[in-house]
Formats: sequence, structure tokens, C-alpha cells
Amino acid sequence: MKSHFKITRKLIDHVRTDVRRPHAFAGERVGFILCRFGVTSRPDLLVLAHSYHAVADEDYIDDMQYGAVINSAAFRKAMQLAYTNAVGLFHVHLHEHSGKPSPSGIDVRETSAFVPDFFHVRPRLPHGALVLSADSISGRIWVPEDRKPSTIDRFTVVGTPLSKIDGKR
Amino acid sequence: MNPRSERQSFLGPRSDEVLSALRIGIIGLGGGGSHIAQQLAHVGLRELVLFDPDRIEESNLNRLVGGTLADVRAKESKVVIARRTILGIRPEAEVIPVGTAWQENAEVIRDCDFLFGCVDSFSGRDELERAARRYLIPYIDIGIDVHRTGGDHFITGQVALSMPGEVCLRCMNVLRDDLLAEEAEQYGAAGARPQVVWSNGVLAATAVGMMMQVATPWQKSSRPPCLLEYDGNSHEIRVSSSAGFLKEKRCPHFVSIDDLGDPWFGERTNPNRH
Repeated sequence: MKSHFKITRKLIDHVRTDVRRPHAFAGERVGFILCRFGVTSRPDLLVLAHSYHAVADEDYIDDMQYGAVINSAAFRKAMQLAYTNAVGLFHVHLHEHSGKPSPSGIDVRETSAFVPDFFHVRPRLPHGALVLSADSISGRIWVPEDRKPSTIDRFTVVGTPLSKIDGKR
Repeated sequence: MNPRSERQSFLGPRSDEVLSALRIGIIGLGGGGSHIAQQLAHVGLRELVLFDPDRIEESNLNRLVGGTLADVRAKESKVVIARRTILGIRPEAEVIPVGTAWQENAEVIRDCDFLFGCVDSFSGRDELERAARRYLIPYIDIGIDVHRTGGDHFITGQVALSMPGEVCLRCMNVLRDDLLAEEAEQYGAAGARPQVVWSNGVLAATAVGMMMQVATPWQKSSRPPCLLEYDGNSHEIRVSSSAGFLKEKRCPHFVSIDDLGDPWFGERTNPNRH
């Protein structure tokens, strides 16, 4: 089954605006997108972005080695939202360039370590990690069946203009 | 660029690619939907899903594009007629005709990138918009009415763009509880609404133009207005006076997370209780 991530232009613009806000000491900001799901006739797995949860200022750890390190409270708050609202959690951050973003080695290592933890609160929903650029998006998804990461196949940004993005090219 | 697209090259160097990657659903292949199907084939769409449970009747021949007397005699399905029209223009198109009410094959809608609603009833619009919002699909609604006031006939109509994340048909007053209630009371006694081919054509062409503005941003600085109003007596179509206000309005009707996705997907209860 292929995965298709859909997000409104309004929401993705809001996420970009939020993660671009300067922080007192963190080099970048991160957040979580809350998602519901559907299955189409193809069949594709639809990942439908609903809203964005910003990590609070006080939940960043001062660590010069990385752009952003967040503490356990940040994860606990996001996982509480997943638990309460029955949503999948998609971690998100921004690479400030145009074109298709690729996760860095650190991104791959860290998201591989923490995304599977989201299954503790919502074991039957997919979860994931996204990288935004100034005008594109890429990401990985973990599905409940095997809890292993795979590249999200397609993205659609729903708005004007409507953008369809191949997740694998 | 494909020679067919030379005259629309202003849509952008990648417009053929963009349009051929879109899957469009048309619900209702009567007077409005048959125009839309034909225009989408001309403009370069290759994946179309057509929903209509009806077969052509003689009374449809005043407006159904592509319909013939032979089709009436054969009691041909409206989606088959539309498919024939599309393939006559663009043989490589992938056309999926669904000769049932869309609700009976609702999962097919979820693959669409746009939906055109050409339905007569307010309840039909309501249901369709809810489905479109559930799967984050832009929905373009066209509606026309001919009514008599003071001895004169008036043709009015609208083209409305319900974009997920933005205002909906209720925000635009296209859908209201009183209209839905009134329609429910008249159930079975409303009869067939009057329709004419030229007005259907104006609204259908405007709806296609609206979709093109969203899909191929040939007007880089603007997005289409969400609501256009049609006056068939003066032959004018204009941006609704409320469009400016609506641009800034936050939709209060589709904000719940439960409005999104398959209601039965995964779990909705405390996972520790399973």
C-alpha cells in the first residue's frame, strides 16, 4: 500500500512560520503534526494532516551540538495529544532551502529512535517524521503492521496553488 | 509541449504534466457535469471519475452535451455518454464511469484531487462537501435556478469553491439549515428544476476556470474568489460581494478532528482497554 500525505496550504504555511521563529538558544524549532487516516480505492493509505502542535520554548535543551534538542516533556505533551485525540504523530522540522529536502544522518538516526515510541500511546495508528523545505516536503512513515520506516510516496498540498509532490524523487 | 497545448502554453511549461497527474471526480453528468467533462478533456485532464446513476431521457436533450437521440432510444447511461465524449477528444484518458450514486462507491472519491458537484439538491451538496472535507479534496459546486417572480422568469446561479482549510458552503450561505429543512419538507414534490444549456455552459466553464487557476498558477499573485454569482437575465457573472469578507473568515464548521479521515480507521478509544 502506498502512502499519500495531504496537508492544507494554510496549515503548512503556519508550520513554516512557526518553526522559523527564533528561539533564545536553540538553532531551529521543531513540532508535531496531528493526523487522521483513510484508505482509498487504489488502495493508498491517506495521511490527513489536521493541526500543528508547537514545542514550547521551555522544552528545548541547550545543546550546541544540534540545531534542536527537545526534552521528555515535549514528547510527553505530544504523546498525550495522540492519546486523547486518537491521532498519528508526525514530527516536523524545516531545512531552509528550496527544492526537495532530505533528512540528515542525524535526522534519520534520531527519528528512528523516537518515532516507534509513539506506538506506546497509539499502537494502531501510523506515525512519522517530516522534513519541510521552503517549497517542498519529504518524510518517512511507520505503520502499525511492521513499525518500520518507509518513505512517504506522495504529498499533496491542498490550496492555491495545489501542489502534488513525488515523495521518492 | 504537446501541439494540442500550444494555445494554452501561458499556463506554464509544466502544465501538461501537472494536469495529466490530476484525478478529477465529477458528480452529476447532466446539464452542468457534461459540459465540465468535455472541457476537462479539451484542457488536458487524463484521469476522470464520473458518477451518475441516471440514464438519458428525451427531456435531457435540451442541455446534455454529447447526448443524442440514439442515446435516448438506447436509454444510455449518462456516465457512458460522458466517457464517450471524453475519449473522442482524448483517447488516452483513463475514465472511470460509476453508474451509481457516489455514496455507493464513496471510496473512489478519496483518490480524487478535485471534485465537481453538479447536483440539484442542497442535501446532495451538503453530503458531497462533507465527504470532500473528510479527505481534504477541493470541491467546486455549481448551482442554477430558474424562478418566477411577478410574472417574469429569472435565472440565477453560483459557482462556489470549498477549499479545505478555508471557508465552506455554509460560510458562503450556499448551504443553510432553513434551505435544507425546506427541501426536506418538499421531498417528493419538488419536481424537475428548469435548466437551460447556455446558463449551464457559463457556470461549467467558470468552474473549470476556477480549477485551472488552482491547479496551474498562471496568475501567480492571486487565488480564485470562493464565490461567484450568476445573473442569467443580464448575462453577468461576478465575484460575490461577500468574497472579500470570506477571504479572511475562519470556517467554524469543519474544525473538529472527527471531521477528518475514515471514522473506523485504527482506534478511537483508550487503547489500554483493548
